[in-house]
Amino acid sequence: MKRMIWKSHLLLGTLLLLAQGCNKKELKRPEGAGSPSNQNQSPISMDEEEVRKLARVFAQELAAELARQGTSLATTTNEDKGTLASPALRLNSAPEVLDFYNSNPEHFTITNPSNLPENLKWESGADLEEFASPNAKRGGTFMEYMPDFPRTLRLLGPDGNGSFRSYILDYNAVSLVDTHPENDGYYPGLAKEWAVDKSNNTVYFRLDPEAKYSDGNPVKATDYFFCLYFMRSPHIQAPWYNDFYSTEKYPNITIFDEHTISITYYKSKPDLLEKCAAIRPIPEHFYKELDEQWVEDYQFEFEPTTGPYEVLKENVRKGESITLTRVPNWWADKKRFFRYRYNPDAIKVTVVRELAKVFELFTKGELDWHGLGLPEFWYDKLPDEHPLVANGHVEKLQFYNDVPRPTWALRLNSSHPILSNKDIRLGLNHAMNFEVVINEVFRGDYDRMRSVADGYGPRSHPKIRAREFSVEKAREYFALAGYTNTGEDGILQTPEGKRLSFSFSTGYKRLEDVMTVLKEEARKAGVDLQIEMLESTSAFKKVSEKKHEIHLVALNVSVEMYPRFWEPYHSDNAYKEPKEERYDEQGHLRSGLTPKPVTNNFTLLADKEVDDLIEKYRVSEDLGEITDLSHKLIEKIHDYGAYIPGWVRPWYRVGQWRWVKYPKGYNVKESREPFEFHIHWIDTEEKKRILDNVASGQKSGEPAINIFDQHKLD
Amino acid sequence: MKKPETVRRPKWEGILWLGVGGIGGFVLLGGIGGFLGGLLGLIFIESAEPGAGLVDGVRNGFTFCGTAGAIAGIVWSRGRGFNPQTMRKLKRFHSIKRGYWSFLILGAAFAISLVGPLVVGSRALVVIHDGKLHLPALPFSAKNSGQDFGLAQDKDEQEYTYEVDYRELKAHFEDTGKGFMLMPFIPYNPNENDFREGVTHPASPNWQQRHLLGTDRTGRDVLARLFYGFRITMLFALVFALMVYLIGVVVGCVMGYFGGWTDLLGQRAVEVWQNIPFLYMVIIIVAAVSDLPFNLPIWFRISILLSIMVLFSWTSMTYYMRTSVFREKARDYVAAAQLLGAGPSRIIFNHLLPNTISTLVTFLPFTVAMAITSITALDYLNFGLPKPTPSWGELLQQGVANLQAPWIVLSAFVAMVTVLTLVTFIGEAIREAFDPKKFTTYE
Repeated sequence: MKRMIWKSHLLLGTLLLLAQGCNKKELKRPEGAGSPSNQNQSPISMDEEEVRKLARVFAQELAAELARQGTSLATTTNEDKGTLASPALRLNSAPEVLDFYNSNPEHFTITNPSNLPENLKWESGADLEEFASPNAKRGGTFMEYMPDFPRTLRLLGPDGNGSFRSYILDYNAVSLVDTHPENDGYYPGLAKEWAVDKSNNTVYFRLDPEAKYSDGNPVKATDYFFCLYFMRSPHIQAPWYNDFYSTEKYPNITIFDEHTISITYYKSKPDLLEKCAAIRPIPEHFYKELDEQWVEDYQFEFEPTTGPYEVLKENVRKGESITLTRVPNWWADKKRFFRYRYNPDAIKVTVVRELAKVFELFTKGELDWHGLGLPEFWYDKLPDEHPLVANGHVEKLQFYNDVPRPTWALRLNSSHPILSNKDIRLGLNHAMNFEVVINEVFRGDYDRMRSVADGYGPRSHPKIRAREFSVEKAREYFALAGYTNTGEDGILQTPEGKRLSFSFSTGYKRLEDVMTVLKEEARKAGVDLQIEMLESTSAFKKVSEKKHEIHLVALNVSVEMYPRFWEPYHSDNAYKEPKEERYDEQGHLRSGLTPKPVTNNFTLLADKEVDDLIEKYRVSEDLGEITDLSHKLIEKIHDYGAYIPGWVRPWYRVGQWRWVKYPKGYNVKESREPFEFHIHWIDTEEKKRILDNVASGQKSGEPAINIFDQHKLD
Repeated sequence: MKKPETVRRPKWEGILWLGVGGIGGFVLLGGIGGFLGGLLGLIFIESAEPGAGLVDGVRNGFTFCGTAGAIAGIVWSRGRGFNPQTMRKLKRFHSIKRGYWSFLILGAAFAISLVGPLVVGSRALVVIHDGKLHLPALPFSAKNSGQDFGLAQDKDEQEYTYEVDYRELKAHFEDTGKGFMLMPFIPYNPNENDFREGVTHPASPNWQQRHLLGTDRTGRDVLARLFYGFRITMLFALVFALMVYLIGVVVGCVMGYFGGWTDLLGQRAVEVWQNIPFLYMVIIIVAAVSDLPFNLPIWFRISILLSIMVLFSWTSMTYYMRTSVFREKARDYVAAAQLLGAGPSRIIFNHLLPNTISTLVTFLPFTVAMAITSITALDYLNFGLPKPTPSWGELLQQGVANLQAPWIVLSAFVAMVTVLTLVTFIGEAIREAFDPKKFTTYE
């Protein structure tokens, strides 16, 4: 009996532990930073390295021999021989990598600068204005949280696209060229200058010779070669990347000298420069092995980054926190568009699994900011009268941005035997009462999403709207599908007694209210939804393995000129079978196909016509045609009914401590999250002063509730 | 043994026995039947939806075997009585006022909760419309849509083809005078969202709207959730306690009676089993269930949770049973029974059990209290009862997350403390009543 009581105490104890906090603020400084990190290797890996070196020497000799014989050779052409003396161009690659380059000579070219086309118009974004503030101060630790510890530090592969990736890649790494977040231009990153050659679908880049990885190694021109080798490998277990970086998409990379490259895209898309700048250098020296074991071997290895923040081994506390520290003497520190940004010395991201605790930690000053997007936070938990706000310790901000909207929507798994029936899907569209969710749960602050692609300007569909809640229409559609009887519990049934019941899952604990309201409202239309609240990572696993029935999830979308349709709606990403086996002679989807895991086609939409349209869309170079196709696709997907649009939010709202400072106007137009562009900074003296004021009950200043609507659309 | 005629038997004794026999038989055979039925259903029942065979099998197995068990239990317990010693103990329990009254209060509350929809629910008790009488709150009664009562559209102008909102209907009757209705005291069910113009949720207690303890974040009535949360928690805890005792007693008795290798191996097995971390198992199995390719109804998911908790909790019972059986089996009456040719099962269940069970009875209330705290804690951690089942853990979680709406957390907290206090009072009284040292008191 004691043991039983003890067990219940254990449970309560766990609760207490959860309710305690992340109070470990100490932070490990980078050790031996700045030098190439080959010192701490075990003897075994030294041996491997030796073997590898020998193999490389051998491979080089072999390549040289082949070159002499003038056979298949990408690395030199006859007249260039002998000019490739600079070390950046020596292909120090592993034999299998060299083989890969050699077997695709037309895709990987090394030539000399004299082959650069003349009359290139070099650009450098010099006429654009910087968007960070020169008043920014360096120092301090920016305190953030994550709801779950990342399952991996890899940047791709299984679980690689979790939310932590934005800290180490999306909002951190420097691209060749970046889109300016305030206007249409581009600003230089790893490339100092670039020249777009539309007629050849090619962009030329002059690389910045100062660019370095966080481990101190320089960024080499050959790392761009390696990117394609890496991205095309089956071992990374990332079909999306395999396709995105396929030979068809990126037919050629040419190295002219150690600081000049060109990248060719398969089509002269309107945003050709962005497509070519999507190739990022991958540190070849870091990835020693790329084989079946890669996914496991690099599970918690941090790939050296070109960005300002790195993850050092000693700053990873499994299950607790990850601290990113600023790379000492970061190469882009003084560059235009990068100076005055990335100001905190470190970013500490602590795991807080309990949503209620996150807010408490914020009010204690242990987290620097808290999202106030949900109305309960903006109105109830941090009202304008809240002492922290009224006494000027914490600031409330609302910022209208102008970007494509994250797709908060229900995804119906159309490979499910019942959901494969279109009438059921359309019925469900009419059974989901998002109107009441928006009005009651979100207090009317949000708008209903219209279609699969909102916020792309003319590329979004001008007319399509989400289907409205209607008991009548929903029941009509369900009746068409044979659900004509009403059971004892008010749920529709077939005459054989099959109930209209679905699992209804999500990984967002904070959206439990949305789920329960939708469930109760759907009962009116005779549908039973069985709510499953999952941990965020297991929810994402479930949906990307296509084990869901109805799932509420949002995919973050990049700020782009036109929406992407291939990844979420092409049958390539729905089923494993090759394309010709997916459809029968009439073009109908066959039954018994195997859903494909680790892709983003959560609706499992597979339709021959849609496939054809998407393929046309992908190769189109004409913006007018792209717009037309985009409208057609949006209509088709709307008709298919497996995507039930949820809501959009044309702004974000934040509560932040007043020691978090920001430039005038708060943020850039195309920011999706408040700290994405790292233009904020922390005033450490102010922090001390404010915390003292809180402790002693004094005011820190006048209350500040700021609404920045300079980018608001009507 | 004394003959039964020598003692004057009160009526409640027979009723208590019938209850014990009936419920015990129902749970025991129902549990076994559910398990076997599930296996059979998985293999043999061919159904349109995957997994439905399993669910049907469990349901049918549980119902049939449970009913059979209940009948067998009742038959078995008919005419049985407590031995005079136990009767004395029960009378002593009756004389300990604090525990006895706690028992009555908790028992009454539980009994009321079993007929819940008559007190707290959204369906009307009585509707008289067009000269016809409807009793919608009763189970198996016809569920009428709004159109059946002459309402073409609901308040959101949707076609009224679904079950009528009786509060809306009542307002309609009051406006038009066409009909009569009697609603339950709290006219809300625990899952419905009561959205009204101009009210933001959580809303504070309001007598006019009959939200006596206010509403939660999505406009659900806190009292209704508390009430049904109590029902499910108590049911869960009682069934849990019964199952744990049934398994623990049988295994403990077997180990104690046979001793030797049986005991040695049994003990080691129990130790190994006990060291499997319970919470992790719950987490793993909850995750595994959500990965199944088919949906399980809510009652099935609750049963899975119950089974896991039972599976990892019965072990501690075996220690107590084993030791007391060890002690008892050395006595002369056991030897006498053996000499007369009684088999092990007869000796264990007819001779040893009645003499050892009293120690166990004293643990019962504390097991129940443990089960209540465990299920609440699991709910709080999101591994408990499936959403949106009304539960105290969920209320506590919401309350803690919404401290600006204190009526949520206070309601859940007060309810929890009250029930646990009552259970503890009962437990102390039972312990005192069953204590062989008569003069020990617990104040």
